[in-house]
Amino acid sequence: MTKTCTVAEMALREIARRRSVLVMLLLLPLTFYLSRRGDHLGQSIRFLCLGLGWALSTAALFAGSAARAIEPRLRLCGYRGHHLVLGRLAALWTVGATLSLPYFLLIRFDQHDVRYGAVALIMAITVVVAAPFGLALSAALPRELEGTLVLLTVIGLQMMMDPAGTSSRILPFWFSREIGTYAVDHTDSGYLERGLIHGATFAVVLTALVVANSSIRLRQRSHLQFSSPR
Amino acid sequence: MRVNQERRAQWLRGVLDLCVLAILARGESYGYELAQSLEAAGLGPIQGGTLYPVLLRLQRSGLVTAHWREGVAGPARKYYRLSAAGSETLRLTANDWNAFAGGVGAVLREVAAQ
Amino acid sequence: MNPQVWLAALAGELSRHGIGPDLAGHVVAEAAAHLRDSGEAPLSAFGPPAAYAAAVADSVGGPDLRPPRRVPGAVRLNVRGVTKRYRRRPVLTGVDLTVRAGEIAAVVGANGCGKSTFLRICAGLASPDRGKVYVNGTVGYCPQDSGTCGFLTPEEHFVLIGAGRGMPRTAALRTGRANAAALDWSPVSATQARHLSGGTRQKLNLIMARMGEPDVLLLDEPYQGFDRGTYLDFWHEVWRWRDAGKAIVVVTHLLNQLDRVDIVLDLTSTKERVA
Repeated sequence: MTKTCTVAEMALREIARRRSVLVMLLLLPLTFYLSRRGDHLGQSIRFLCLGLGWALSTAALFAGSAARAIEPRLRLCGYRGHHLVLGRLAALWTVGATLSLPYFLLIRFDQHDVRYGAVALIMAITVVVAAPFGLALSAALPRELEGTLVLLTVIGLQMMMDPAGTSSRILPFWFSREIGTYAVDHTDSGYLERGLIHGATFAVVLTALVVANSSIRLRQRSHLQFSSPR
Repeated sequence: MRVNQERRAQWLRGVLDLCVLAILARGESYGYELAQSLEAAGLGPIQGGTLYPVLLRLQRSGLVTAHWREGVAGPARKYYRLSAAGSETLRLTANDWNAFAGGVGAVLREVAAQ
Repeated sequence: MNPQVWLAALAGELSRHGIGPDLAGHVVAEAAAHLRDSGEAPLSAFGPPAAYAAAVADSVGGPDLRPPRRVPGAVRLNVRGVTKRYRRRPVLTGVDLTVRAGEIAAVVGANGCGKSTFLRICAGLASPDRGKVYVNGTVGYCPQDSGTCGFLTPEEHFVLIGAGRGMPRTAALRTGRANAAALDWSPVSATQARHLSGGTRQKLNLIMARMGEPDVLLLDEPYQGFDRGTYLDFWHEVWRWRDAGKAIVVVTHLLNQLDRVDIVLDLTSTKERVA
């Protein structure tokens, strides 16, 4: 537990020192929100949540790439793969939650006739999914540029594809549109349930994926055998 | 009574490293300052050619550690510091020396008393 | 004889007496500082250059005052038949190496002969195509560069590595600062690793590798960017660790320290010979 907490603490400190990144993280969802605020209030909420997911995934992608160099070293001095991943995830989740709070308050006071609880839920699931999504991308694509391009594609598709189509469900933030509809248009709870199942599935699968990847990448290699001294 | 130079140099050869360790036990120092401290302690002027090889030997045997550091105004100086092994050696050898010097002193006092 | 002439003559005499350029530089610089401080004439303070150089050579190469070194202890690192190919090109072919507690092994060889790869295989960071590595105890590894977090301060590195080794925060900080002092460095708490000079970052790397007193130390040219003084400090530290019973493997391309190590593994010919 101490190990996971220490990794989380250090990851938080690292993110907190990237001031310019933090500012952009904070502003990106706002620009998304403002872009549609004039003509379509409901759409602006959906865009804000997607912006939040995008910003946090990008932060996770970069955090994952930056950690790559030091992780083998940490493994060697006593950390296991899951300490490193869970610690980093905890840090990113904390950042995401902190980031979401002002936006939730914005919607709470700027918008009316919206299911606020459902909006909070979207934000929470977005944060939970975006962090492992970014880390998974950084594990699959070691170079940041490629990862960023993939993220751009995913978010772009997420905005353009018809959420009613089956194929759009393979996108990680599909739940956000589904629960968004429930929150804004006051549809039946079927939207909420589908969104919840989708979000929970992605959260669990992505987290399991990054933990498994880290455990494999940082496994004890078979040529090396340790015995305890004396 | 003036001490014979040659004899004095011989005595010093046996104890100079011990005296250097003892001075360093007060705190870190550099070569010239050490030479001054030793002279102030009554050991007479110690030449650089005698002192620095002793310091090198102490450093090599791990009894002192050394670091270069820029002076406030002057040039960089090599500062010496007593290591843990050095203080241990100093403690043990100082006891031995005191016993030895006590013996020498006792024998010589008999001569002086006659 | 004026001091400049005397110092130049001393430098020549030191090299004639087989003193390596690093140590010779120190001796000359220290003598120069002494002459400046004392204002004495070099001949009366140090005597003729040749005599002083002989005294220096005697004190570093002469009888070792160190308590007789313990017989090397248990085998800590045992590498058997490690073979590695890169794109069909053999890099390491059947490399063997045995390092006991209290021994230093130097890994030498031309550029690209697989020194770093060999060390990474020993650390378990890379897999060989064939061969085994047996480690008796814990391992500390210091890479050639990188291996630090740019946005964390040195002290945060100490805490992070320390936690992995199971050290409480205060103990990790104390150990880190003490080891930094041994390399003549006192970390400024607000400076992030990315703002450190190359040499200082290597000191941090080295201290991280030493955290938790691992039994086997794998050092990959850890002195890059060190100035002369720190380079000598580094070797003195290595000897101290050896005397404390560590098994140490140092990758190096500098040959003037080889007489002070116990084993030389030349990867150019991939043959182990005992020095």
